[in-house]
Amino acid sequence: MSEGLNYTFLIDTFFIALSGVPITLLVTVVALLIALPLGFLLALTRINQVPVLNWFSRIYVSFVRGTPIIIQIFIVYASVPLILSLFFERYNININVYDINPIWYAFIVFSFSTTAILIEVFRSALSTVNKGQLEAAQSVGLSNLQAYLRIVIPQALVVALPNICTATVNLIKATSLGYAMSLQEITLKAKVAANVGYNYVEAYIDIFLVYIILCSLVEYGFKLYEKRLRRYKYVSA
Amino acid sequence: MHNMEKYFDVSYIWNSLPILLPFLKVTFVVAGLSMIFGSFFGLILAMMKLGKSKIAQKLANFYITILRCTPSIVLLFLVYYGVPALADNFGLYLHDLNTAVFVVITFTLQFAAIMAEVIRSAYESIEKGQFEAAVSVGLSPFQAYRRIIFPQALVVALPNFGNGLIALLQEGSLAYTIGLIDIVGKANLIIAANYNTHALEIFIALALVYWILSILIEKFFGKLEKVFSKGKHTINTN
Repeated sequence: MSEGLNYTFLIDTFFIALSGVPITLLVTVVALLIALPLGFLLALTRINQVPVLNWFSRIYVSFVRGTPIIIQIFIVYASVPLILSLFFERYNININVYDINPIWYAFIVFSFSTTAILIEVFRSALSTVNKGQLEAAQSVGLSNLQAYLRIVIPQALVVALPNICTATVNLIKATSLGYAMSLQEITLKAKVAANVGYNYVEAYIDIFLVYIILCSLVEYGFKLYEKRLRRYKYVSA
Repeated sequence: MHNMEKYFDVSYIWNSLPILLPFLKVTFVVAGLSMIFGSFFGLILAMMKLGKSKIAQKLANFYITILRCTPSIVLLFLVYYGVPALADNFGLYLHDLNTAVFVVITFTLQFAAIMAEVIRSAYESIEKGQFEAAVSVGLSPFQAYRRIIFPQALVVALPNFGNGLIALLQEGSLAYTIGLIDIVGKANLIIAANYNTHALEIFIALALVYWILSILIEKFFGKLEKVFSKGKHTINTN
C-alpha cells in the first residue's frame, strides 16, 4: 500500500464502476415509477383520513423511517425467496428461487422504501396547497380529478420537488447496498475488480467519484426542472 | 404448517433479543462519539458558511455537497482503506487500529455535513434585529449569542437534530461491513452460528430494535422541543 496509488488500476476501474451506472439508474427509475404514484395515493389516504389505509400508511412510513435500509434489504432478501419457494412448491411450478435475478429483489426493496419516503413528501406538499384552491376549482365546474390534475398537483409539485430530489439522491446512494443482494451495480463491480490485487483504495476512490458525478447531475437536473415549474407558483397569488 | 415452522419460528425473534441488546452499547458509543465530534465539526462548517470569507464559504459548500452525494458504505470503506494508506506516507502505521475508530471517523465526517446545514438554517431563522437589540441594551456580543440567539436557534434546530441523529444511527448499521461487532455485527454472528438458518427472524428482531429506538428518539426530541420552546411563548405574548 505504501508505494502509493496504482494509477493504471485507478483509471481502468473508473470505467468498470461507470459500467454499473445503468443498473443503478434502472433500479432508481423503476423504484421511482412505482413509488411516485403509490406514494401520492397513500398520501391522499392520510390527508383524507381514509379509515384503514390511513393507519396502514402511518405504520408503514414509521417502519421504513425507523429502520435502516440494509435491514429492510436483509428482511426482503430472506423472506421473499422463502415465500416464493413455498408458493412454487405448492403449485408445482418448476422454478428455482435462487435463479431469480437479484434485480427483482432490488426493485421490491427500493420501491418499498421510496414509497414510504414519498408519502411524507407528498403529504406535506399537499397540505401547503390552500383548501380554497380545490373548492374554487370545483365551484367553477372542474371534476375532482381535473381539479387535482390541473390545480392542486402542479402547485404541490413545486413544493415537493426539492424533497423528491433529496429522495432520489438518497435512493441512488442506497442502491450501493445492492451488494447485499449481489446486484451488479457501481459498488459491487468496482469492489470485485479490486479483489484481484487488493487495490481497494483506488476502487473506492472510483466508486466515490462515480456517485458524486451521478448525484450532482441528478441534482442539477432537478434544479432546472424546478425553475421551469416555478411559474405555477405565482398562479395562486 | 409443520413445514412452515422449519423455515420460520417466531421464538427465534424473542430468544435473540437478550443476546442482541447488550451489543447496543457498541452502537451507542460509536453513534455518541460521532455525534459529539460531528456536531463540533459541523459548527465550524456552519461558521464558515455564515462568515464573510468567500473562500471559506466555497470550501464548506464543497464539503457538504460532496458528503451529501457519497453513500455511507462508500465513505466507510474509503476511510477504512484510505486513512491507513494515507498515514503510511507519513510513516504512521494505522492498519491495526480498532475498526470502531474508522467507523467514528466516517460518521463524524457525515454527521458534520448534516449538522452544518441544521445549524446554519437555525441561525438564519433568527432575525438579525434580535442580536442588535441585545447588544443595544448593553449585552456583549458573546452574551447576546448565549442568552438571546442560541436559545431561540436551539428550538428551531432540535427537530432537525433529532432527524440527523436517527439518520446517524441508521447509517451506523453499516459498520458491520468493516467488522465492527455492534448489534448488526452480532446478529450476523448469530445467523452464522445457526448455519444461516432462521436469518429472517434475527433480522426482524434487529428491525424491531431499530424501529423502537427511532420512535423513542423522535418522542424524546418532541418533548425536548416543547420544554425549550416555553420561552418562545412568553416573548410572543409580551
